[in-house]
Amino acid sequence: MKRVRVTDILEKAICLLVMFLVLFPFLWMVSMSFKTDAEIMSFPPTFFPKEFTMKHMIAIWDRIPLMTYIKNTVIFAVGVAFVSVMIDSLAGYAFARMRFKGRDRIFGLILLTMMVPFQITMIPLYIETYKLGILNTFVGMILPRAATAYGIFFMRSFFLGLPVDLEEAARIDGLNELGIYLKIMLPLCKSAFITLFIFVLMGNWNDLLYPMMMTSSTNMRTLPAGLAMFVGEGLTEVGPSMAGAFISMLPLFVLYCFAQKYFVQGIAVSGMKG
Amino acid sequence: MKEKKFSNIRSYWNRPNHAAYLFIAPAIFIIVLFVIVPLVSSFVISLTDMDIFMRDIKFIGMKNFLKSFKEERVWNAFLNTFKYVIISVPIQVGMSLVLAFWLYQSNPFSKAMRSVYFIPVICSFASLGIMFKMFFGSAVGYFPYLVSLITKNGVPSFWTDVRYAFPLIIFISVWKKFGQTLIILVAGINSISETYYEAARIDGASRKQIFAYITIPMLWPTLSFVIVTTLIGAMQVFDVVFVTTGGGPLNSTETIVQYIYSRGFGNTYDLGYASALSVELFVVIAVFTLLTRRYTDKKIEENT
Repeated sequence: MKRVRVTDILEKAICLLVMFLVLFPFLWMVSMSFKTDAEIMSFPPTFFPKEFTMKHMIAIWDRIPLMTYIKNTVIFAVGVAFVSVMIDSLAGYAFARMRFKGRDRIFGLILLTMMVPFQITMIPLYIETYKLGILNTFVGMILPRAATAYGIFFMRSFFLGLPVDLEEAARIDGLNELGIYLKIMLPLCKSAFITLFIFVLMGNWNDLLYPMMMTSSTNMRTLPAGLAMFVGEGLTEVGPSMAGAFISMLPLFVLYCFAQKYFVQGIAVSGMKG
Repeated sequence: MKEKKFSNIRSYWNRPNHAAYLFIAPAIFIIVLFVIVPLVSSFVISLTDMDIFMRDIKFIGMKNFLKSFKEERVWNAFLNTFKYVIISVPIQVGMSLVLAFWLYQSNPFSKAMRSVYFIPVICSFASLGIMFKMFFGSAVGYFPYLVSLITKNGVPSFWTDVRYAFPLIIFISVWKKFGQTLIILVAGINSISETYYEAARIDGASRKQIFAYITIPMLWPTLSFVIVTTLIGAMQVFDVVFVTTGGGPLNSTETIVQYIYSRGFGNTYDLGYASALSVELFVVIAVFTLLTRRYTDKKIEENT
C-alpha cells in the first residue's frame, strides 16, 4: 500500500514539474514586457520586475502595425471559420443523412484529400489566386479554406449520431430539404458548430505559411505572418518584442479561458477518425 | 406556364436524392478548385522552368528532379527533416502517452494539468518564436543565465551554436504540441470500456500491468492515428524553424519545407524547382505514411 503512494507522489511531482516548464517561459515573457530597459539588460537578470513600466506595452503599437495585424487576423480567421462551418455542415449533413448516387465514393475521395500535404498544393494555389486576381485580398485568403475535409468529416460524424427518423416526420409535414436542415437539424448541432468553429478559428489564427504566402503587402498581413517578418528585421529591442508576443497571444488565450471545452473537443474528436 | 416550370424545378431539387447534390456542391467546388486542381498542377509545374513572372514557360522534363538530387542543400534539408522526425515524434508521443495514463481521469488535479498543458497549443509559433528566441538567447535569456550558474563558463550562445540550435528547435516544438497529443490520447483512453479495467483489477493486476496489457493494446487505433498524424506534421516542419533560426546556423536546422519556401518565395522565385522539391516531399510522406500504417495496422489487428 505504501509503495503505491510513493509512486503516486512521484507522478504528481513530475506533472507539476511539466506544468512549471510550460508556464515558466510565459511568465518570463510577461515579466520582461513590464521591465525597464535598464533592468532587462542587467546582469545577473531578475525574474520579477523590480520596477513596473508600461513603456513597451505602448511602444509596440508604434513600432509595428499591430492593430492592422489584429484586424486582418480577425477578418481572416473568423471569416474562414464562419464560411467553412456553413459549407462543411451542409455537406456533412448530406453525406450523413441523405441517400444519393456516388455518395460513399465522393466521401471517400474527400477523405483522401486530408492526406494531401499543404506544401504540394502551395505553389499552384499561389499561381491560381494570382490568376484569379484575388491574391493579397481577404477573398483570396478565405476562399481556398472555405471547405475542409476534416470539417465535413466532423459534421458528418455528428449528424450520424442523431436519431434516425428525425427528418421523416418533417418530410411528411411537407417541409422541404433545406427547411429540414435549417429548422430541424441546425438547432440540434449548436455545440458541434461551436466546436468546429473554434477548431478552424484556432488553426487559421495561428497559421503562418499560408497567410504569409497569400499576402504580399504589410497592410494585409496577419499576426503570425507580420510578427514572423519582424523577427529578423526591425524588431530587435527586447521590451517591445516581448510585449508584442504577449499581446498577440492574449485574444485566443482569453477565448480559451471562457470556452476551453470547445477547444479541447475539436482536438479530441480528431483522434476518433483513425 | 412559367410558374409551372418553376414549381417543377423546385420539386425536382426537393427530392432528397437530388437536393443532396446541391448540399455538397459548394464543398466539392472549393475542394476541387483549391486542393485537387493544385495537386495535379503541382506535378505539371515541377516539369517546367516556371518562375515568378510566369512568362516563356518551357517543359524541361525531369531536369528539376535531376538537379535536386545533385544539390547538397536538398540532401541536407531532407536529412535534417528526418532527424527532426526521428527524434521529435517518439519524444512527443511517448511523453504524451505517459502523461495521458497519469491524467486521463476527470479529477481536479488532472483537469488542471491538462488545461495548463494545452496553453502552448493555442499560441502561434510566431509569437512563441519571439519569446523563445529571447529566452534561449545569449543577450537577455534566462536559460543561458541558469546554465552559466551551473557551468561557471560564462553565458553560452545556443542559437549560433550548431550543436545546440537543433535540440532547441525540437524542445520548442515538443513543448508546444504535446498538450494536443495528450488530449487525443486521453479521449482514446476514456473510450476504452470500464469493464476491461474492472476485470483486470479483480484479477489483481497492478497499475503498470494494466497500462501495458490493457491500455496500450486497446489504445492502438488512437495511437496509430496519433503516430501517423504527428509523423506527417513533423515531415512538414516549417513554422518553428522559420521563426527561430531561419535554417541557420550554417543550414544546420534547415528543413525541406523551409528550403522549398526560400526557393519559391524567399530569395529566389524558382516555382518549377520548388514544385519539384514539394513533389519529392509528397512521395516521401506517402512512403513514410504507408510504412507506418502497415506497422500500426498490424498492431491493431494483433490486439483485437
